[in-house]
Amino acid sequence: MSVSRSDILSLVQTQLGEILEKSPSDIVEDATFADLGADSLALIELVEALEESLAKESAGFHIDDEDLEDLTSVRLAVDYVAAKLQAA
Amino acid sequence: MGGDLAPSEIVTGARRAVDECGLNVVLVGPPDLIGDPQGLEVVPCTEVIAMDDDPGASVRKKKDSSLVRAAELVRDGKASAMVSAGNTGATMASALFRMGRLPGVVRPCIATPLPNPDRAPTVMADAGANTECTPEMLVQFAQMASAFSRTRYGIERPSVALLANGEEPTKGSPAGKEAFKLLAALDGINFVGNVEGRDLIPSPVDVVITDGFTGNVALKTLEGSLKFILKMLLEVIGTNEETRAAGDVLFPHLLPLAGQLSPDTYGGAMLLGLDGICIISHGSSNATAIMNALKQGAELADAGVVDTLRTTIRPDQAS
Repeated sequence: MSVSRSDILSLVQTQLGEILEKSPSDIVEDATFADLGADSLALIELVEALEESLAKESAGFHIDDEDLEDLTSVRLAVDYVAAKLQAA
Repeated sequence: MGGDLAPSEIVTGARRAVDECGLNVVLVGPPDLIGDPQGLEVVPCTEVIAMDDDPGASVRKKKDSSLVRAAELVRDGKASAMVSAGNTGATMASALFRMGRLPGVVRPCIATPLPNPDRAPTVMADAGANTECTPEMLVQFAQMASAFSRTRYGIERPSVALLANGEEPTKGSPAGKEAFKLLAALDGINFVGNVEGRDLIPSPVDVVITDGFTGNVALKTLEGSLKFILKMLLEVIGTNEETRAAGDVLFPHLLPLAGQLSPDTYGGAMLLGLDGICIISHGSSNATAIMNALKQGAELADAGVVDTLRTTIRPDQAS
């Protein structure tokens, strides 16, 4: 895997920033998605954007819908994606 | 291909849009569910999103559904607009995920026309897309609905008001009161203050802004009230021979009014803020409503409403 954890954090900050019309620097690692004002549609937008971006690194990269409800913060989402890529 | 009266009324409405309005219409759906396409082109798919499916999850899981495929046709430039009478949340989700938001738009909103006697309809936004809204979202809805009113109805400087529980600036929800201050200080919007629920039909303003929860409740209350009044009126007219004779005199004059007040006349509501045109029709849409929704979609595409909205939110994107 060639994507580091900090790369994933940066990707989440950029993509969620675009979705929420916020600066990437506002997307801090400790923030919950609720704190950031990300509703369920925004999170699915993020998931689709991450899947599209990371498919280049890991063919067929997919985030399971069943796992989404546990991903309540930026840190949990980054850790989840990193673990998925590591296992691929 | 969704809706309470699908597929027969949907297909008939599409056929009428071709025959009566000269539009080019394609049907998107599983061919076995569409049945007789009445000579129209069918873009086949294998899945449908049910009215009670979760909007976000269903759009992710059912990638070969009619809603997702229709949104992709617009995204790919193969259709100018999509119209659906199906699951409202899933329609919005499929349009949002496939067409994408216009740059700068935080959330799309539903803009629905409210009839006025002898003048253009009032545009109410949001009519149901966002149950919770920030003040900044309400300001964006005002900017987009104002641009929509100008493009759709030719009103040069639409008057814009917030829906509240009183006309004073101190009335309204916390987000509404904050939006009042922002709108009052904003250039390019003809903000006139608050209006109350009694000011929706007929309305003294061209645009009414509210959160999606309040907007949807207000819209459904109006629809239910109008249906109730019509039902009571018909019952009174049918009471005896004398009232029936009076009805014979009144009906020719009442019918145009009923047409003006009917949601079928307007066909549907547009999702504002997406990079494409999506018309959400009532779940109980009949063929007339579908024909008018398709006509509205074509007219909005011809008027370049998406580009107007694009430059409304980001003036630097003007070509």
